Amino acid sequence: MQDQLTALLAKAAAELPAIASRPDFESAKARYVGPNGELTALMKQMGTVPKEQRPAVGKLINEAKGRLQAQLDAALARIADAELAAQLGPPVDASLPATDAGPGTRHPLTQVREEMCRILRKVGFAVADGPEVESEYYCFDALNTPIDHPARDEKDTFYFPTTARFGNISKKVAGEKYLLRTHTSSVQIRTMLKGPPPIRIVSPGRVYRRDTTDATHSANFHQLECLYVDRNVTVRDLKALLDYIFASLLGPETKTRFRPHYFGYTEPSFEVDLTASHLPKVNKPWIEIGGCGMVDPSVFEAVGYDPEIWTGYAFGMGLERLAMLLYGIDDIRYFYQNDLRFLKQFA
Amino acid sequence: MKISLNWLRDYVQLDASVDEIARAITFLGFEVEAVVSTAAPRLEHVVVGEILTRARHPNADKLSVCTVDVGPAGGVKTIVCGATNCDAGNRVLVALPGAVLPGNFAIKLSKIRGQESQGMMCSPDEIGMGGEHSGLLLLEGRPALGTPIHEALPPGDTVFDLEITPNRPDCLCHLGIARELAAWFKLPLVYPQEKFRGDLSEAPALPGLLAGVRVDSPEDCPLYTAHLITGVKIGPSPSWMQERLKAVGLRPINNVVDVGNYVMLETGQPLHAFDARRLGGNQIIVRRAADGEKITTLDGKERTLNGRMLVIADAQRPVVIAGIMGGENSGVADDTTDLVLECAIFRRQSIRGTSRQLGLGSDSSYRYERGVDPHGTLEAAYRAIDLILETAGGRVAGPAYRLGGDVPWQREIVVTHDYITERLGFDIPAAEMRAAFEALEFTITREEPTVHPARGPAWTVGIPSWRDDLDRPIDLVEEVLRLYGTERIPPAVVQAPGLVADDDPVVNFNRRVTEYLVGHDFHECVTYTLRPAREVATWVSQAAAQELALANPFVEDQTHLRPTLITGLLETLKLNQSRGVAAARLCESGRVFMEHNGQILECAAVAFLLAEPVGERVWRRREAPDFYTAKHHVCALAALAGVEVANAAAAPASGAYFGWQEGHAIAVGGIEGGWVARFGLLNLAMVRALGIEGRVLGGIFAILPEKLPAAAVPPRFKDFSLFPAALRDLAVVVAEDRPALEVQRRVAQTARTATAGAFAVENVALFDVYRGAGVPEGSKSLAFSLVYRSPARTLTDDEVNAAFQRLQDELVKTTGWQIRK
Repeated sequence: MQDQLTALLAKAAAELPAIASRPDFESAKARYVGPNGELTALMKQMGTVPKEQRPAVGKLINEAKGRLQAQLDAALARIADAELAAQLGPPVDASLPATDAGPGTRHPLTQVREEMCRILRKVGFAVADGPEVESEYYCFDALNTPIDHPARDEKDTFYFPTTARFGNISKKVAGEKYLLRTHTSSVQIRTMLKGPPPIRIVSPGRVYRRDTTDATHSANFHQLECLYVDRNVTVRDLKALLDYIFASLLGPETKTRFRPHYFGYTEPSFEVDLTASHLPKVNKPWIEIGGCGMVDPSVFEAVGYDPEIWTGYAFGMGLERLAMLLYGIDDIRYFYQNDLRFLKQFA
Repeated sequence: MKISLNWLRDYVQLDASVDEIARAITFLGFEVEAVVSTAAPRLEHVVVGEILTRARHPNADKLSVCTVDVGPAGGVKTIVCGATNCDAGNRVLVALPGAVLPGNFAIKLSKIRGQESQGMMCSPDEIGMGGEHSGLLLLEGRPALGTPIHEALPPGDTVFDLEITPNRPDCLCHLGIARELAAWFKLPLVYPQEKFRGDLSEAPALPGLLAGVRVDSPEDCPLYTAHLITGVKIGPSPSWMQERLKAVGLRPINNVVDVGNYVMLETGQPLHAFDARRLGGNQIIVRRAADGEKITTLDGKERTLNGRMLVIADAQRPVVIAGIMGGENSGVADDTTDLVLECAIFRRQSIRGTSRQLGLGSDSSYRYERGVDPHGTLEAAYRAIDLILETAGGRVAGPAYRLGGDVPWQREIVVTHDYITERLGFDIPAAEMRAAFEALEFTITREEPTVHPARGPAWTVGIPSWRDDLDRPIDLVEEVLRLYGTERIPPAVVQAPGLVADDDPVVNFNRRVTEYLVGHDFHECVTYTLRPAREVATWVSQAAAQELALANPFVEDQTHLRPTLITGLLETLKLNQSRGVAAARLCESGRVFMEHNGQILECAAVAFLLAEPVGERVWRRREAPDFYTAKHHVCALAALAGVEVANAAAAPASGAYFGWQEGHAIAVGGIEGGWVARFGLLNLAMVRALGIEGRVLGGIFAILPEKLPAAAVPPRFKDFSLFPAALRDLAVVVAEDRPALEVQRRVAQTARTATAGAFAVENVALFDVYRGAGVPEGSKSLAFSLVYRSPARTLTDDEVNAAFQRLQDELVKTTGWQIRK
């Protein structure tokens, strides 16, 4: 019996490593351990073994069975590995380009806007939003703009017919006209009318001017405005904010300066310049970047805040202008054409 | 507005450099747009020379060869010259070798057509003094030979081009700017001293020259003055006056007109001179025009007036459009001897309205629109009379007229040192504040200690009549800061006490959808909100398009609010294709405007296009996107707004597909319900008509801003079973036009009933759609995979089989659908 088993194992050890496919393996397996297999046949001979030898023979058979199974397992694993390897195909040429589209790109105006919002969020400004269609009250009256101010002229501002109805944009005064907002300051008014101070918001958004489109003008463009209303807000705080914003955006060596100016909704008012010597295509020591000032008491009166208690500042700037400065873009129309060769430069 | 430095120096002794003055003007609040100097530049090796001889160039017809004496140091030079306006005896400026002229033009010894040239004689243009290139600058007054250029030419002037903000009409003149600079540099301001001050006791009475002045519209003309000057001689004004007018961009006309302009540029008060003999009836009547009344203005154009416009008329006809422009036939002419000098105040709104209606503006209307100080009117008239007598002769005659203008000016503002300090956030000594007020000619009528002795005083500040822009304490804060200098605001750290506020839901929505799409390889675009009428009409009904129209569009292709973002993206796609740039994935987020029941609703929206990448060639092509790609993205975008689109009712938008391809696109939701989604294939014919190659898929999701969730609600965890699932597949044959979603819902609902609550139907998912052999024509087979599971135990085959069989029986019984085995 022992010789038979040894011979069987030797035969299996010779045959199994050469098997290359699953069918061959299955038939080989059947020949050894199947119902009519050689090992099975030997096991059936156990009945003829004298009783006293049975434990020893049984042990031999079990050992042989275990070794045969190990050989079968190894053969099967080898076949399975070979099958997986066959699925892979030849090695890749890693230098071929990827063929999926992309990557996608965020528009440069979005990038500049989000960067400004991030900088302002750090010092507590929440991003506010408001409708682009506005009523005269929110765009002009509440902002201390006299009725005959040139900005209100039909030459400069887009109006809607008096019959126009906007279902989700509230009017303040019956009979006032709808228009396309000329600045995002209307968001300040809506925010202040919604609740009491303190308020600290930044409102980026699209605005409209009735203007010829050329390299620096566009019928719609984007602004970003900040408003802070609290007790004891001062001119010095406003200057500190502007210094902080542009040092964050352009580096710590960036400086700002205020030039006294005039806006109807702030007093005192300033234009803001920044040093921009390291920006592309800039050859002046100071670049005008926006306007700001202390909220005019008449604006507080319009929204029901007591100007004796509350003070505040506001700052506004054009996002296209900022992006043009930052990236050295010399024509505003690029932003609206969306040539992919343009968009991909700012990814 | 142009301001001459020489002129300013009449009133304030400015010794500061031009740069310092420009900086002062800037920080006083007036933007310096340009600084132009007419002074000769300092150029080395450019000296005075005299042409000794001039002869024809032997080898060139248009050139001459001159000998030029440039003084003892340089001797006599031979110079080839192209100019024709010079001859022997002229003194000119000679650039000698070594000179570098503006434009980095270096002068060297050279040979011109075989003739040596030892320098160059200069035209004004060549030495940077502008003007024509037509000839040499011929020097007057025979300056000494060899004199350097800047000593040979007159000292010149410096002109500042300033932008004056609308609140400061007092600075639309030299005296106004001089007053500001005097305050800045702490220098005295000297006003012109008039000799004539209204005394007519020695003047002849000539009532025949001006028999009467009447103001019919005192509300539009609160002050009208008229003075008579007789015996003037019209001629050119003196050269000093012409120089100044030219320096600030005005053309000299004659002595009387020039005086009017000069006084306006000095004081800000416009004036007008009439020829007394040309006033019909020797009358002046200030009245509203009659509707349709006509006048031909000085610029030769006939203007038709209306009843809201103010005119100065004689007995018969209007002779001036008040405050704006004179008529052709009443002004001063060469033979004028008797003048009526008008100096008046007109209501700002009246002048602005008329100027705008006529599209006619002037230096005079510009000042009237912004506001002229009525308390300076007579001073200006006296000043003009002095200058006319000085430059045109004649004498003042009576009678003089003065109508209206008797409103006394008194304005006082009480402000405390404390108030100003609190607004500024830093301390300026009280004495410095007080000095600022006084420097600006505000009068401090009282100074009192405030109740808090440690704090500064309270001032009662008298505001001068020309500063109508100041009427509240806050206005004086700005005045103090202007003179203190905004550059001296001390730096500080941003104070940021926490304000707990979220970003607006619309802002968060735009951020999330853009992140999603850019993360899926889309390029974010920004397109115009205003679209052309013809385009809008292809996307919404005619009635809706009408509601979207602007009242006053500016250009023809920007007349309507956009009802969709798709059109802007199509335009972008077209632009890229036409430039040979492959663009396949474009997106935008922004506002769209949707009509519902005659109302427009402003919505937040996001849209994308999936186009064929025309022109792009790749070595291996991915599977092309289709309707379901668009559906996938729209569902994902809507989910970012908390809206589930996939299982919402989907239907063609009430038969109106507009820009979408019928049968291959769908509308879900409705804006009346708060949101709407549309997606699928864009109309093939429309896309082709736009000149776009290839098929284009698109999707848009729009939502009312007020429907966006203010803050994300944290999801609640739901427990799930850890026991094994039992899977069964079911194929049903249904009519071709039956939506899969409906079948799926029916299968799921029936399956749940069939388990009788004994265990759960965890999922019913469609995994195959089959048409062909074994399925009748006009039908389709939909195959679903069902997942059965119990939260408490492992299910047995028998109970699942029973439930599955009940499902099939029930489906067949209630729907008539066939089960495909």
